[in-house]
Amino acid sequence: MILVILETPISKAGLESLCCATKLGDTLTVGLVGAAAQEAANSIGGCGARFLAVEGEPYSVSRYATDAAAAEALIRASGAALAIAPCTHRWQRALPGVAQRVGGAIDTHAVDISPGSVRRWYYRQRIEVTLARAATPWIILREPGSGDPWQGVPAQATVERLDVTPPATRTQVEGIEAQAASQQTIRPDAALLFVAGAGWTKKQKDGAVRTSEASELILQFVNRTGASLGSSKSLVDQSGEGQAVLPFLTHLHQVGQTGSTPRHRKGLASCCHGEEPHVVGWRFVNERRAINLDPNCGWARGKADVLYVADAFEVLREAAKALGQPGAD
Amino acid sequence: MNLDADILCVGFGPAMGGFLTTLTRGLSEEGLESAAMPGLPPQVICYERADDISFGVSGVVTRARAIRASFPEFDPDAVPMAAPVTSESLVYLLDPHGASRRPAMLRAADGILKIAAEHGAIELPYIPGFLQKHDGFVLSIGQFNQWAGQQVLMSGLAQIWPSAPVSAPLIEEGRVSGVVLAADGAGVRGALTVVGDGPYGAAGRRLDEEFGLPEGHVRDEWAVGMKLVIELPEDTTLAPGTVIHTFGYPEPEIFGFFYTHPDRIASAGIFVPSWLENPVRTAYRYLQHFIQHPYLWRYVRGGRMKSWGAKSLLESGRRGEPFLAGDGYARIGEGSGSTNVLTGSGVDEAWLTGTQLAEAVLVLLREKKPFTRENLEATYVARRRTSWLERENLVAEKARNGFARGVIQGFLGMALAGFTRGRLHWPSGDVKRRTLKEYYSGRLSPHRIVEIQKQCAAAGISLHDALMDACGWPAIQYDGQLLVTHQDALLMGGKVQAPAGAEDHVLFRDAVLCEECRQRTCIEMCSGQAIHAGETKVPAFEREKCVHCGACLWNCPGNNIAFAAGPGGFHSAEN
Amino acid sequence: MSYQIVVCGGIAPDPLQTLEPVPGPALKNEMMLPHVFDPWAAHALYEAGHLAKLNPGAKVWVVSMAPKAKLQQVMMTVAQKLPFELVPLDGPPGGFTDSADVAEALAAAIRTIAGLDLSRLLLFGGWESATRGAGTTMQRVGALLGITEQFLAVDQLEVRDGGSLRVWERLEGGRQQVSLCSGLPAMLAWATGHLPEPPNHPPTGMANGRLLMPALQKAKPAPAGAGCTFLDVSLPKQIRQTVIVKDKPAAEIAREIVEWITQ
Ligand SMILES: Cc1cc2nc3c(=O)[nH]c(=O)nc-3n(C[C@H](O)[C@H](O)[C@H](O)COP(=O)(O)OP(=O)(O)OC[C@H]3O[C@@H](n4cnc5c(N)ncnc54)[C@H](O)[C@@H]3O)c2cc1C
Ligand SMILES: Cc1cc2nc3c(=O)[nH]c(=O)nc-3n(C[C@H](O)[C@H](O)[C@H](O)COP(=O)(O)OP(=O)(O)OC[C@H]3O[C@@H](n4cnc5c(N)ncnc54)[C@H](O)[C@@H]3O)c2cc1C
Ligand code: SF4
Ligand code: SF4
Repeated sequence: MILVILETPISKAGLESLCCATKLGDTLTVGLVGAAAQEAANSIGGCGARFLAVEGEPYSVSRYATDAAAAEALIRASGAALAIAPCTHRWQRALPGVAQRVGGAIDTHAVDISPGSVRRWYYRQRIEVTLARAATPWIILREPGSGDPWQGVPAQATVERLDVTPPATRTQVEGIEAQAASQQTIRPDAALLFVAGAGWTKKQKDGAVRTSEASELILQFVNRTGASLGSSKSLVDQSGEGQAVLPFLTHLHQVGQTGSTPRHRKGLASCCHGEEPHVVGWRFVNERRAINLDPNCGWARGKADVLYVADAFEVLREAAKALGQPGAD
Repeated sequence: MNLDADILCVGFGPAMGGFLTTLTRGLSEEGLESAAMPGLPPQVICYERADDISFGVSGVVTRARAIRASFPEFDPDAVPMAAPVTSESLVYLLDPHGASRRPAMLRAADGILKIAAEHGAIELPYIPGFLQKHDGFVLSIGQFNQWAGQQVLMSGLAQIWPSAPVSAPLIEEGRVSGVVLAADGAGVRGALTVVGDGPYGAAGRRLDEEFGLPEGHVRDEWAVGMKLVIELPEDTTLAPGTVIHTFGYPEPEIFGFFYTHPDRIASAGIFVPSWLENPVRTAYRYLQHFIQHPYLWRYVRGGRMKSWGAKSLLESGRRGEPFLAGDGYARIGEGSGSTNVLTGSGVDEAWLTGTQLAEAVLVLLREKKPFTRENLEATYVARRRTSWLERENLVAEKARNGFARGVIQGFLGMALAGFTRGRLHWPSGDVKRRTLKEYYSGRLSPHRIVEIQKQCAAAGISLHDALMDACGWPAIQYDGQLLVTHQDALLMGGKVQAPAGAEDHVLFRDAVLCEECRQRTCIEMCSGQAIHAGETKVPAFEREKCVHCGACLWNCPGNNIAFAAGPGGFHSAEN
Repeated sequence: MSYQIVVCGGIAPDPLQTLEPVPGPALKNEMMLPHVFDPWAAHALYEAGHLAKLNPGAKVWVVSMAPKAKLQQVMMTVAQKLPFELVPLDGPPGGFTDSADVAEALAAAIRTIAGLDLSRLLLFGGWESATRGAGTTMQRVGALLGITEQFLAVDQLEVRDGGSLRVWERLEGGRQQVSLCSGLPAMLAWATGHLPEPPNHPPTGMANGRLLMPALQKAKPAPAGAGCTFLDVSLPKQIRQTVIVKDKPAAEIAREIVEWITQ
C-alpha cells in the first residue's frame, strides 16, 4: 500500500505525485493535511484511494512542527511501507524529520519512481543515480515538473479524520513575500528562462560599460516575452558587493550549482560563458540557446542547441523591435 | 622579542615538504620546547600563497634520491599519479611546417636528418648520463605536495595555512624576525624564518634586495614552463612511466617534455627560456604546436585536456645562489639556487635542501643555540656544501661554460655533433633580445609587421597569433577537447580564481616606461592573458586570469613590473 | 544574548572539477580532487560568524564529518575566515552515504560538546549538501536532538529584541515565507543567505589553529553506510550538437529568437 501525502488545496505538484503513485500498481491511501480536507478529497475522489486527513487551523500553514506531526500520524495510521509526497519546500522541510521519527528512509528530488526503485541526482545534478531500498517506511519526495498531473474526475470521497493534537510550537507563520512580477525570479510558470550573465556589466567593444542600457534591455525583453529571469553567479555576486550593477538581480536569481535548477522548457542565455557550475543548473531546461561574443564559450561545447555568436546588446535591441509593444507575445 | 611562533615558513613546495617532513619527525623528541609557548613543543607555522597545498605546477620526473631518503619505503601507489620510470628517450623534433626560426646551419642539418627521421623526429641513440632519470619516478607535483602536506598536518606539529601569501620578511635591525602577511599587513614574529617560496616568491626577492647576492652571483636566466595534463585516448600504447625529453621544436630554443602517469594520463609541456630572442613569445600557442608535432600527436590525438599550468623556473642555478642563511632566516629550494639546470631537475634538489635545513634546525634546537647566521652556516650551509647537491650543481655550473650560449644550443650541438660524428656543431655567438624587425628579418617585411601591429591594435588583440600565422604556423583547429582556446584553458581542471577584494599583485611601476615601450612583451607573453592592452598606453591587468606564473616579472625588458604576493590562481591539483 | 551556534557542514569537491563516478559507487580520484567546505554550509557558517560577532559571548562550533586528512586540509582555509571550534568526525568520503547515518553521527557529536546547552541551541547547516544533494540531513539531526522549530532554505535571519527570530525561507517560484520563532532551540538550514565570503584573516586562523590541530588528531572514525542498493550510477548523457551561428546580422538573430520563443 502506498501513501500519498498532500496539502490542501491540492497543488499541481501534488497531482503529479498522485499520478505517479497510481502507476505503481498498488493500493493507494491519500493523506491530506490542511485546514479542511473534504473539498480537496472530492477533487481527486476519482482516484479510488482511501482518504485520511489531519485537519484544522494549525495544519493550514507550512510549518515544521505541525506538518511533521501530521505526516507522522498519517504514516503510522496508514501503515504504508511507501510514502510519496511532492518535493516542495513544505514537504522537504517536514518529511526528513518524520523519517527520523518513524525510523524510515527518505529520498528527495526523485525524477522517476518505479516499483522498488527511484531515480535521482547526486552531486548537484552532476551524477544520475537509480537506487533501491529495503528499509520501511520509505518516503520519497517527487520533484515537481517531472511528470504529468493526475487528471481523473472529482467524486465524493469518504475522509477518515485522524485526531492529532496540534504539537506545541514556537513558530508563527507571518506570511509570504513575493517580489514584483516584473522582477520576479525563476517563475516556474513561464515558458522561457532568460539568463543574464556577467558580460552585461563588462566593458564592451567600445571600451564603455553600459549597465543602465543593459538593465533596460533585459527588463524590456523579460517583460515583453513574459520570461522568467535568471542569472549567473558572477553577476549576482557583483550586486552583492554593492557595485549597484543590475539592481533587480539578487542571489534568488542565480541558476547553477549553488543556485537553482529551474525547469522551463526553453532557456536563453545571454552574456554568460556557460561554465560547468552554471550549466548544471540547466539540467531540466530542454531547449537551450545562447548569445555570446565568444564562439568558443562553454555553450559551444554541446551545452546549447544553438549558439549565436553576436553582441547581446544588439540582439536584444533588435528583439525589442521585433517583439513590438508590451503584451505582444 | 615577543614571539608568535618558533619557526615561520614561507611557501609550501617540495623544499618545504622536505623541511617540514624532517622537522616534524624530530619535534616530537623529548626536551624540545617552544620559546614562543613554553610547555609546548616548538610551534611551526607555514604560509602558502596558493588556495591549496596541492596547486603547484611542475613536470615532473625526478630521480627522487632525497625523497626516498626521507621515505625509504616510498610506494608510488600511495601517491596519485605517481609511477616509476619505465622508459626514457631524448628526441630531436624536426619542424614539420618550416615555420620556426632555424639558423641556416640547422636547416641544413635538418635536411640530412630528415632522411633518418620517423614521425618527423630523431630518437637519440643515447641519453647523456646527467639527464637520465631511469631510477626515478614520474609524479604530479600537486598530488605529491598534497600527499606530503597531509602527513605533516596529521603529525599535529606544524600548521600549513593556504591562501596566506607572505608579502615580505619582517626585517628589523638587520635581522629577519618574522614575516609580514599580505592579507592584513600584520607582522608575525618567530625565532627562525624559513623562506622556500620558490624561484620568484616575494619574500625571497625582498631578501635579495635587502642583503644582495654573493659576489659574482646573478639571477638572469629564466624560463617559463607551461604544461598540459592530458587524458590519453583509450587505446593508448604508452606505458605509465614513459619519459620523453624533446628539443628542436616548436623553436630550436624550446625544450619539451612528455611524461606518462598511471591511468592513461600524461603531462606534456615546454620551456620558453629567457634567451629565446622572439619578443612576442607566447608559450600557449607554442605548446599547442608542440603537442601537435607528429611524434607526439600520434599519442595524444583523441585525448582530452584535463588540466593546464604555467610557472617560471630560475635557470641560473648555482650561479644565482643567494646567501643561504642570515640572522633569523634560511633559504631553501629553487629560490636558494638549488635547481640543477643541466639535468632539468629541481624537485628532489629542493626537497634535499629542506631536509638539510631541518636536520640543522633540530641540532640547534637540541643544543639550545640561537638561529644566527653563524650557527645556521655551521649546520645547514655546511650540510649543503658537502652533499651531492653542491657537487652536481658545480658540475652544472661548469658544464654551462661549455654550453657557450645556453643549454639548448649545447644540447643541439651535442645532437648535431653526435649524429654527424662531429661534422656539424652549434655556432657560438651572443644572446640578445631582438626587436620584431630584427627577429622576423628575412621572413616578414618591416612593412608587413607594422601592418599587423596596426590591425591588432585596432582589434584590441595581441600580436603573437597574427605574427605566427604570417610566418606560416598553421592555425590551431580547436576541438574543444585537447585543443582549446587560451581562455578556456584557464577553466581546465579547476578555474583560475582570484578572491574578491584583494589588491592587484601585478603593477606597472613607471607609466612613462610603458608609454614608450614598443615591444609590450608583457602582453604578448602573459601565460594567462591576464595582461592586455588597456585604455591608456599602460597595459591593463586582470587578476581573475593571472596564474601567478611569474613570467611577466622577468620578461619586461625595462624591469617595470612589480610582482607582489597575492592570493588566487590555479584550482587544479593535477599539475 | 550569548548564542551557542553549531554549524554542521561537510566538504565537497571544488565545483569546478570534473566528476566521474566509479563502481562503489564513488567518485574517480575523489581524494585527489581539491575540496571546499560544502558551499551552502559555508553560507550558514558565515551567517553564524556574523551573528556571533554581533553578540559578544556567542560561540560557534563547526561539526564536520569527512575523511580526516582532507578535512584537515579544507579546514586550514575555512579556519582563517572566522573564529570557531571544530568538532571533527573522521567519516567516509563522498555523497553516496545515507543521511540517516550521517545525522546520527553528527547528533551524537553535538551531544558530546562540553558546555553546550541543547535547550538554547541554534543549529545551523546548509539546506542541501553539494554531494548527497538530498536536503535531509539537518532535519534528521534536528529530530534527533528534539528540535521542533525547523527552517529550510533560509535566506535571512533577523534576531529581534527579546531573542525571537524572524526567518525568511526560500519557496518555489521566487517567493519567501516569513515566520516568527519565539525562542530556542531552533534549526536553520541555510540557502545562500546574504553575506559574502569573509576574507582570510590569518590571525583568526592561528587562534583557531591551536584547538583545530589537536581536535583533528583526535577525530574518531565515524562510519556511514549507503542504506540502499545502487542500481545505476552514471554521468548524464547530455551533450548536444551545438549549432554555432556566426556572422548573422543581429536583426536576423533577433527574429529567429523571437520566432523560437513564440513557437
Ligand atoms: C563554489 C562555486 C559555486 C559556483 N556556483 C555557481 C552557480 O550556482 N551558478 C553560476 O552561474 N556560477 C557558479 N559558479 C561560478 C562559475 O564558475 C562562473 O564563474 C560563472 O558562472 C561565470 O558567470 P558568467 O558566465 O556570467 O561570467 P563570465 O565568465 O564573466 O562571462 C561573461 C561572458 O559574457 C560574454 N559577453 C561579454 N559581452 C558580451 C556581449 N556584448 N554580447 C554577448 N556576450 C558577451 C563574454 O564572452 C563571456 O563569455 C560557481 C563557482 C564556484 C567556485
Ligand atoms: C613546467 C615545469 C616542469 C618542471 N619539470 C621538472 C621535472 O621534470 N623534474 C624536476 O625535478 N623539476 C622540474 N621542474 C622544477 C621544479 O618544479 C622546481 O624546481 C621545484 O618545484 C622547486 O621547489 P620549491 O619548493 O623550491 O619551490 P616551488 O615549488 O616553487 O614552491 C614554492 C611555494 O611557495 C609559494 N609561494 C610563493 N610566494 C609566496 C609568498 N609570497 N607567500 C607564501 N607562499 C608563497 C608558492 O605558491 C609555492 O607553492 C619543473 C618546473 C616547471 C615549472
Ligand atoms: S610592463 Fe614592460 S613590457 Fe609591458 S608595456 Fe610596460 S615596459 Fe613594456
Ligand atoms: S600576469 Fe600573471 S599569468 Fe600573466 S605572466 Fe604575470 S604572473 Fe603570469
